[in-house]
Amino acid sequence: MTKQISRRAIVGLFASGVAAATVGWPRRHASAADAKDSVTIAWPSDIVTWDPNQRFTPDAQSIFKAVYDQPLDQNPDLSLRPNVIKSWTVSADGLRIDVELRNDIVWHNGDKLTAEDFRYTFFERVRKYPDLKLDIGNSWKEISNIEVQSATNAVVTLSAPKPTAPQWFSFLGSYVVPMKYMEQVGVEGFRQKPVGSGPYRLVEYQLNSRIVLERFEQYWGPKPKIKRVIYEIIKDPSARVAAIESGKADLVINVPVREATRLNKVAGLASDLDPITRVILFQCRNDLGFADENVRLAAHHAIDKQALSKAFYEGAAVPLSMLSVPGTPAYDASFKFPYDPAKATALLAKSGHSPQNPAKIKMAATNGHFPSDFDIARAIVAMWKKVGIEAELEAIEYPKYFELNRGNKLPEATLYSWDNATGDPEIFAGYLLHPKRPFSAWKGMDVGEKLIEIATIVDYDKRVQAYKEVEKFAIARGATIPLLQSVTTVARKASLGYRKYGNGWILPQTMDWA
Amino acid sequence: MSDVVRVLGQRFIAAVPILLVVSMLLFAVLRMIPVDPLALSVPPNATIEEIDKIRHDMGFDRPIAVQYVVWLQNTVHLDFGRSIQHRDSVAGLIAETLPATIELALFAIVIASALGLAGGLYLFHLRGRPGEVVADLASTAIMSLPEFLWGLLFILLFGVALDWLPFIGRLSPAFSRPVHSGFLLIDALIDRRFDIFFDALKHMILPAFALGLSFSPPIMRVLRSSLHDVYAEDYIQQARLRGIGEWRILVRHATKNAILPTLTLMGVQFSFLFGGTLLIEVIYSYPGMGNLMVEAVRNADLPVTQAVGLVYCIAVLFINAVVDAIYLVLNPKLRRR
Repeated sequence: MTKQISRRAIVGLFASGVAAATVGWPRRHASAADAKDSVTIAWPSDIVTWDPNQRFTPDAQSIFKAVYDQPLDQNPDLSLRPNVIKSWTVSADGLRIDVELRNDIVWHNGDKLTAEDFRYTFFERVRKYPDLKLDIGNSWKEISNIEVQSATNAVVTLSAPKPTAPQWFSFLGSYVVPMKYMEQVGVEGFRQKPVGSGPYRLVEYQLNSRIVLERFEQYWGPKPKIKRVIYEIIKDPSARVAAIESGKADLVINVPVREATRLNKVAGLASDLDPITRVILFQCRNDLGFADENVRLAAHHAIDKQALSKAFYEGAAVPLSMLSVPGTPAYDASFKFPYDPAKATALLAKSGHSPQNPAKIKMAATNGHFPSDFDIARAIVAMWKKVGIEAELEAIEYPKYFELNRGNKLPEATLYSWDNATGDPEIFAGYLLHPKRPFSAWKGMDVGEKLIEIATIVDYDKRVQAYKEVEKFAIARGATIPLLQSVTTVARKASLGYRKYGNGWILPQTMDWA
Repeated sequence: MSDVVRVLGQRFIAAVPILLVVSMLLFAVLRMIPVDPLALSVPPNATIEEIDKIRHDMGFDRPIAVQYVVWLQNTVHLDFGRSIQHRDSVAGLIAETLPATIELALFAIVIASALGLAGGLYLFHLRGRPGEVVADLASTAIMSLPEFLWGLLFILLFGVALDWLPFIGRLSPAFSRPVHSGFLLIDALIDRRFDIFFDALKHMILPAFALGLSFSPPIMRVLRSSLHDVYAEDYIQQARLRGIGEWRILVRHATKNAILPTLTLMGVQFSFLFGGTLLIEVIYSYPGMGNLMVEAVRNADLPVTQAVGLVYCIAVLFINAVVDAIYLVLNPKLRRR
């Protein structure tokens, strides 16, 4: 039996299809942000794992801080404040930390947070599951035991003094995880369905696409004003700009500086260029073409940092003379390393160099790892050429940087960007200039010995003062060349407010609609 | 039908050594690039000794040939290892992202085919007329823009300026994603959620068009050229003498033969199109395998890069096998040779 399909039947079918599609088709973009108790944030990177102890990923910290609690927290000015830990005391020798925890913290699954969870996170879990290669196992390797004294009291014993222990309790990877739940579901189960004790709980996650958080009504701290938070993972900066312009996002971060300035003039939008605890610097070697201190110092004097800021950051990036940025404990506003091309020329002349007979060095920079990185490097090559330094510039990939650095194969000068959310000087100079640590290109023990000595100072004020001095000493020797304090760019709907943190955190729990 | 099965069988058997060679090349190239796979996966304060220990634990310090044999043994059992970046199973990551890419690529293939075939017929229809030059120029213009540029232009035009279509992700935030097969359109239908189905479809329009449009001009041109050749054949004249209408001659007689070389090109184009999903997925925040691959390359995540590379290779071989099968169905001359 054959069935003929008439033209009328085809037209009828088509019309029915269009009608069905019209009914089913959402008539407008159903943005969650239409309601004032939700916000859509365009975020540039995804969470690599929902196990917050496993990987140190600076970009994920703002999201982790919404879902999990850290033992200590930071104020917008980066000073420490109690969080899960209500109070703490460090012994005089720095080997014992007594902590008292809050007793009103509830996990998202309803269980109560106790000192057992604290012990599990920072000690037991690390030892019990070495195969997980938890990053906090490395940052807390000095912990030799955590003794639980009661549900809210514990004693942390260290094998060596760790003066920055309080700072590390509010830093990368230090989030308390629930022992009972983690043991029950395993790490795979936890990653699939994470449970924290933060102000929001995770309700939906799709890899490389979307994270949906909902306010946790039993949260012990101040209740967030926004009930539902949607993170759209948009990796392309142009697409993030399009998202805020089209109204599909309420707030976007890390848009190009020029775009941020432009968006500020768009009706209904506002943008911020906020200096944060990220420093753009040159990591210097103490040998090869930089063995001569005159050449290193000339290289520093020859750089017009203000011009770099104006050309590449609309003048918003702060020129730096130190590694510690303004607003952090070891920053010294009185210390200036001036832009002085004449002095640079004179220093080079002392070593027999001139524009006609330049000092020759190699230089590396990433291209696209942070805004305008390679352009900044090229501008500096031109500045150096004028005074008599000929730099051969090579573009390197970000992972390549680590490989070269760990193998002590970086060239004389490497343009790099260093993030330090704590603002603590140890995580500036103590990492960037310590010859024994992987991040330091400088292998000179002149600076190294001073840093090794500081590492044992437990007293906070003395320690900060010592770092302040060593930073100045290192810069006077040309061991590093700080350039600019970087900025983070935020574009948002003008009616959406958020609290600004000195380290660039953008926390949904601080947002509200006007 | 048996011929089609035979050819498909032959193709799949031939695919084994090809895959082996590709996997070897992929493995060797990835191991030779001057980037340390552990570069971004260890904490900032790890010492060189600790990094060396992790390298040893993960087997990265063994000879490449040994690493390859171990990897191949595991891969045969569908164990692609663990992602350095995510510290999660690579197979799981691929399973989570592959359906989105397949859905997008299929939609784009439909669009590329529709535009390519319709455009080819239209170009042929315009032959010898002034409009042919304009149409030629238009197809050249379309061809000269890469897919990611079309993607950005579409976002600006249809997403921002006109605000007609969404350009972020797979689904509007108001909806929760149904999860059954991973194929969103199918899962929406399983749950009888037509609102989700149409919303997902709407999200696919711009990325699929960006991909489909940029791959359609070569199809148009080859079809037109083939039609020119076919129209020089005697049987077209004979059809005209028999009084058959021009439209019928074009569709029923000429196109049937002219489609064969076009089909070969379509096979090649669709292989490239599958690869084109990489950048389009990043631009549209589309959570597919391309997005995963770009992230893996950026972070020197070798286990993910080599497994996804292999999946792309399988996809290309599969597409070619399917095109060969369609070729057989359409061209009886090739059967039982």
